[in-house]
Amino acid sequence: MGHKTYGAATSAGALAFGLVLGFGAPAAAQDDGFTLGMMVGGNPCCEWMKSQGDVARALAEARGWNYMELSNNNDPATALRNAQILVQEGADAAIQFNGQPSSNPAIAQVMNAAGVPIVTYDIAQEGMYFVGIDNLGAGIAGGEGLGALVRDEWDCNPDLVVSAEGAAAGIVNEWRTGGMRTGLRNICPEIPDERWVSFESQGDAAVGLPAARDLLAAHPEAVRIAVVGLNDGGVLSLIQAAEQLGRADEVMGWGQDGAFITGDNVNPALKGSVFYFLESYAVNAIRDVIEPIAAGDAPPVRWEAGDPASQVQGCPVTAEEPATVPDMEERVRLLLEAPAGTTAYDLFCPNR
Amino acid sequence: MTITSAQPDRFEIWRERLSGSVASITITFIIVMAVGLLWVGPRFVSTSNIGIIGSFLVVPLIVGACAGFALLAGVVDLSIGSMVGFASALFAIQIAGGMDPWIAAPLTLLACVAMGAINALAIVHFGADAIAATLGMLTALRGMTWVITGIGGASGAIFAFHPGLFGMANSRVLGLPVLFLLAIVLSLIAAGVVTKTRLGRHVQAVGGDDKAAARAGIPVARVRTFALLLSAFGAGVAGIVFVAQLGSAARATGFGLEFQVYAALMIGGYSILRGGVGNPVGGMLGLLVVAGVSNIIELKAISPYYTNIIVGALLLGAVLLDRLRGGDPYE
Repeated sequence: MGHKTYGAATSAGALAFGLVLGFGAPAAAQDDGFTLGMMVGGNPCCEWMKSQGDVARALAEARGWNYMELSNNNDPATALRNAQILVQEGADAAIQFNGQPSSNPAIAQVMNAAGVPIVTYDIAQEGMYFVGIDNLGAGIAGGEGLGALVRDEWDCNPDLVVSAEGAAAGIVNEWRTGGMRTGLRNICPEIPDERWVSFESQGDAAVGLPAARDLLAAHPEAVRIAVVGLNDGGVLSLIQAAEQLGRADEVMGWGQDGAFITGDNVNPALKGSVFYFLESYAVNAIRDVIEPIAAGDAPPVRWEAGDPASQVQGCPVTAEEPATVPDMEERVRLLLEAPAGTTAYDLFCPNR
Repeated sequence: MTITSAQPDRFEIWRERLSGSVASITITFIIVMAVGLLWVGPRFVSTSNIGIIGSFLVVPLIVGACAGFALLAGVVDLSIGSMVGFASALFAIQIAGGMDPWIAAPLTLLACVAMGAINALAIVHFGADAIAATLGMLTALRGMTWVITGIGGASGAIFAFHPGLFGMANSRVLGLPVLFLLAIVLSLIAAGVVTKTRLGRHVQAVGGDDKAAARAGIPVARVRTFALLLSAFGAGVAGIVFVAQLGSAARATGFGLEFQVYAALMIGGYSILRGGVGNPVGGMLGLLVVAGVSNIIELKAISPYYTNIIVGALLLGAVLLDRLRGGDPYE
């Protein structure tokens, strides 16, 4: 008891000491030069989330700006705290990718109240500059790509069309998977409604695997299976489940984001994807929004996905085409060596 | 001669003082404060910065103060993170539907306590393993959260901004968030209950050795049921606070919170597998230490990817310290 009493008293004293010290202490900000704050998504799923920060850092430092990077840890409360920290630290502008956009209204309120302009990637929020892909357009393009294959190889008669959803991505998931279904219907309008099914992949090959297995088990008669999805990882979860069950001979998938369509080990059932070159978003954000702000000529806040501050171009590719596209690490290196304002689409899209 | 004989006594007193469970985390806390002050500068302890840290800490502090009772009683509750998510979704859907927060809040807490009662029934009355039972509850609650947030639409979130709640949740006294100060007070009250009351001694006794406690006439089942209900209640309150602070609930709310809270509680002197060990003040300081370290990394613009490495190292250090000060070896 003595130990605990002493400890409690000491800790309370230490806390009080700290707080007393804090009163009156200024929340000093970086005041030398332009400061760009970056809040990366922080989901450990994806290499591109880290690459978005790496590219933003390199571009900011090349311009002589201060750069401060925080991770949202894929958590809405952390994202809000990060916004508050950027305001406190005197950021002149900020960029975020927030995969948990439920906190976006609060973040917009914090940033707008402090007069700190903020760019958000891919998920639109009033009060934030929107930079991103045309998700619906990318979805339709991918669906039409897969539709052409389904028409040519199966005469538009698949046994099953599976949609690998990632509901946590919210409206982005709706746009991409819905767009892919629309694109596929554009090419093969006769596929009966009962053959369209979906499962929750959570956008991750490993995480979605059990649900994908369950779906295949529920459709034992399906042989020719077309797969669309939120992203390459989600599509792969169905393909890998089919491989585990020995049913992958006639599976054709078409993903989104291009994460698993390059390199030496591309799954042969992944027939295509749509490159977003997610690592390159900072080029658009800095070129079209942050640089004008730094120059004192802030553009109007175009926040709607249909009227973005900067549009990222999607790049649909078949599995054969990405052979010329380097992997993420090499792409980042080449991107940073390219002339200012050059995007990864400009450098690497085989169909540009 | 007198001097030399007095020195060992003084040394002994300090050795005993520094070997207490709360003393070691207090020292760690002071070190973090000192490092922050020296490295980051005065803004580390500015009211603005403490306010930011404090706002973020309200939820883990409430959860930690209440879940700590379950740990002390020897029944780890792994469902606390999912319970926060469930509570936030349930509360948010009611607010979004136009219900008065003062009605929605008790209904939410009632639902959470009911879930806690299921945990208690499984663990205390049917003898289920606490980890297995609460892991099941974790999964079930996560599923329920997804179902509820699905009602909110395709975004996977329920937007439930309530000006009165938001104002209350973000109000400040002397520059510090009121809720943070209340969460600190809650932790201190919990510490008082644990160290000064018969209930606290019973909780510790049950966690330390339930058979001995039963022989001493302590109602083991009742104490553990109380601890599990309190744990669920605390997570419910935290879920409500979350919605009040953010104006929304999402599918990811509370995801991984159990690890964040328990890591901090262990740094603060609790044990996951050994009941009867720990003090709410230690848990509170554990959370402050982890938050302080994260904040230093953020303010120094160090890559955020180092944060988990440092928190992990702190956790390993806490385990080592626990052994050095005479804690039981892992059994």
